[in-house]
Amino acid sequence: MTKQLTDLAEKTVKVAERLGAEQAEVYIGSTRSFSIDVENNAIKSAAERRDAGCGIRCVFGKKIGFAYVTTLNGDDIENALRRSISLAKASVADPDFVSLPGPESRYPVVKDLFDKGVEGLTADEAADLIAGCLDAAKEPLHGRKYAIQADLSTSSGSRAIANSLGVSQSAESTSITMYSEVTIKEQADQTSSYEYLVSRALREINPEWIGRTASENALRNLGAKTIEGGDMSVIMTPLAVSMVVGSGFADAVNAEEVQQGRSYISDAIGSEVASDELHIVDDGLLKGGVGSRAFDAEGALSQRTQVLKRGVLRSLLHSSYTANKDRVPNTGNASRPSYAGIPMIATTNFVIEPGRGMLEDLVSEVKKGVLCMNTFDRPNMTTGDLSAMVSEGFYIEDGELRQGVKSTLIGINMRDLLKRVIRVGADTRATGRMVTPSIVIDSAKITSG
Amino acid sequence: MKTLAQAAIEAALKTGAAFADIRIENTVTTIIEIDDGVTKRSMAAQLKGAGIRAFFDGAWAFGQTTDLTPSAMRSTAASVAKMAIATHGRVAEKFSIDGPAFEDNVRLKVKRPLQDVGAAEKVALVKMIDEQARGYDKRIANARTTYGDLWTELYVANSLGTSVYIENSLPRIVSMVTAKDGANRQRAFKSAGARGGFDEMQTEHAQTIGEESSKLAVELLSSVAAKGGVYDVIMDPVFNGVMVHEAFGHACEADNWPAHTTVLEDKVEKVVGPEHLNLSDDPTLEGMRGSFPYDWEGTKTRKRHLVRRGVLTDLLHGLESSSRLNMEPNGAARAQSFMSEPIPRMSNTFMEPGDWRVDELISDTRQGILLCDFNYGYTEPSKGQFMFQASYGYMIEGGEVGQIVRDVSVAGQILDVLPKIDAVANDFRLEAGSCGKNAQLVPDMSGGPHARVRSVPVGGM
Repeated sequence: MTKQLTDLAEKTVKVAERLGAEQAEVYIGSTRSFSIDVENNAIKSAAERRDAGCGIRCVFGKKIGFAYVTTLNGDDIENALRRSISLAKASVADPDFVSLPGPESRYPVVKDLFDKGVEGLTADEAADLIAGCLDAAKEPLHGRKYAIQADLSTSSGSRAIANSLGVSQSAESTSITMYSEVTIKEQADQTSSYEYLVSRALREINPEWIGRTASENALRNLGAKTIEGGDMSVIMTPLAVSMVVGSGFADAVNAEEVQQGRSYISDAIGSEVASDELHIVDDGLLKGGVGSRAFDAEGALSQRTQVLKRGVLRSLLHSSYTANKDRVPNTGNASRPSYAGIPMIATTNFVIEPGRGMLEDLVSEVKKGVLCMNTFDRPNMTTGDLSAMVSEGFYIEDGELRQGVKSTLIGINMRDLLKRVIRVGADTRATGRMVTPSIVIDSAKITSG
Repeated sequence: MKTLAQAAIEAALKTGAAFADIRIENTVTTIIEIDDGVTKRSMAAQLKGAGIRAFFDGAWAFGQTTDLTPSAMRSTAASVAKMAIATHGRVAEKFSIDGPAFEDNVRLKVKRPLQDVGAAEKVALVKMIDEQARGYDKRIANARTTYGDLWTELYVANSLGTSVYIENSLPRIVSMVTAKDGANRQRAFKSAGARGGFDEMQTEHAQTIGEESSKLAVELLSSVAAKGGVYDVIMDPVFNGVMVHEAFGHACEADNWPAHTTVLEDKVEKVVGPEHLNLSDDPTLEGMRGSFPYDWEGTKTRKRHLVRRGVLTDLLHGLESSSRLNMEPNGAARAQSFMSEPIPRMSNTFMEPGDWRVDELISDTRQGILLCDFNYGYTEPSKGQFMFQASYGYMIEGGEVGQIVRDVSVAGQILDVLPKIDAVANDFRLEAGSCGKNAQLVPDMSGGPHARVRSVPVGGM
């Protein structure tokens, strides 16, 4: 399959050149995905998608155009090619564009990105797995009014990339995600929580753990109240860290955002931007990592990039364009969701190196604070101001968890947040975006009411 | 398209499905982005294919194909129907799908069809807005202007006899700028979007969008971060729209009822807000980005009076929820593209105007905060919790508008916030946006008049 895709990609590059493109890049993706859904405590629907399409970049001097089509049909591809060319010709030249990346002599081998278990999972086996998750979720909820939603989705596929400079690569990968959300209703209270696991391999998915944890978390959230606001400590668990750091800091070290002056981190390489407790690596080569790959979305080498070492900013995340513009090595962070997108800079596996202590150890050291289990907020990327709702969390007093909190906001600037990390735990988990433990922020402004 | 659709539906029914539907789509989109005078993104896309659903005794299955031939229609539909039949053994609730059949062919007449406008003219528009934004003030350090358009031909058919063809045409322009004064940097964005042709980009609003965003970014240079606390909040039309959308609209999506995932579950026909409160969702408004004559299940759309004089009266239905709740379908099922299943969604969502004058409303507020525009927002209907962020605002002291503040977040509980709305003004405006749910993004609008909410928690630094 990958051979066929590579051949088609190479052939399309040739056609683009014949039509006048000085450089061309063709990216082909072909995926089969399957999902099964649970609504109100029972399986309800299933879906199977086969998605194959082609994305084409054409370069004329310093002008670039991109087009994609959701089929691999010859006429459709040629139409897309013509659209890409006409857009390139109508563009305003970008003086900072140098070239698409060239081929490498050797690409790394990253293990465990493809799993036969995921690829071969039948609809019946998938239904059994999700039934296991459901049963485990029901167990702690006995005698209560509840509604469980769950979803299992798998995908397996190939991608191929070829360009005029001789890049011609392909790879296969799989992924699987299982998710469960539990809503509990009481007379005068209603709450919910969720849990999930995402992996390249079937054996990493523990349906019972997902179901049970979602229910236990939802039970704990019952009786959430507002609290007295003020300045206090905040513990963020891996899910919260994934939003606040995985998006709120990772996007700030995106070289394109920094070059355009849109990031709150500017010209800070070599300076101390965070607490010396924080070490962050973007690891594109992590064995079995959800974000791992041997080559990036432009066919450039994937690598392990030290972003923060003892709080000192070591590197930004680059694509070929931003690396050429800054005259620094490309970190291989070009990324695209599928054939249907232009390469943009994104993290691979954004990893916070673990410190010591599990969550209960971190809690026991906090005199007064909030445990933020989850939030969906990210900062203003230009000023760094963060105002995050504690979507799920608890009040901490004298080292012990008290009641759940609601209508509660954390306010802090990202630059302060990064400097005020006084402790990094060892309760590491993979969240999809990140591999991270919990972190403790010395002080932030809490508003609740 | 009719023949292809019939082949799919017949194959699904023959395999044993009780209900089947199909969406055949051909969409062409263009995105052009210019950053500081240079093309950063220039992209064209064609989405072409069919999404097929089959239903049997409480179980749904979905599949999709980009091979638009009768044989591919038949084989995909048969395999989807088999999947529904296989799944039905595990479902808990049995029900059937019913609804009226519609037959129609609605062509969208626009002055300048998007596909007749060449890339050069679209680039020229983006370039003009880019130059306008940067030329506004020396302190504009970065400008990013993005034009995006979408032209869709959609055919929907189902086994109840529905056969509907609709077209959609959505141009939009967005200007995002960063203003810089020493170490102080502030961002702002403004956008204009409509349902119509390229001529919609020639309106005064669209043609001055660069100036508008630059004006705001420069004004924000003198802003301070809001001090956190509990405030009386006056919402401007845009922020009000976001409140209605996030704090209430999502919780009215009727797929939440069979799933038992909304705090409004027991509130239908009950009082949820004050007598002077009316909330609506209306996909039939002319020329609005969130409008469509038939939904993605082929049901004719109508205005939904979600809240009428403080009472929850209407929900947002797809065929499944209207069948299961035994309510009238109202055309709220939408899908991002043929690759996704249609689910209940909002269209143009707003608070109906009241009788306060805006200046009266402000002078009547002794101490509070006026919140304007929005950055983003989200909600968790099962928990009854929401959060959204205004782009900027002004402190109100003694009934007068004062210091400008930025990025003001508001958190709250769905059931608590509506009763706190004590005054609704007589102005009105809708703003173009997009809304995400279940990983599907759809174009929409939201808005309303200025309105006041008493004592809500506002986040600060």
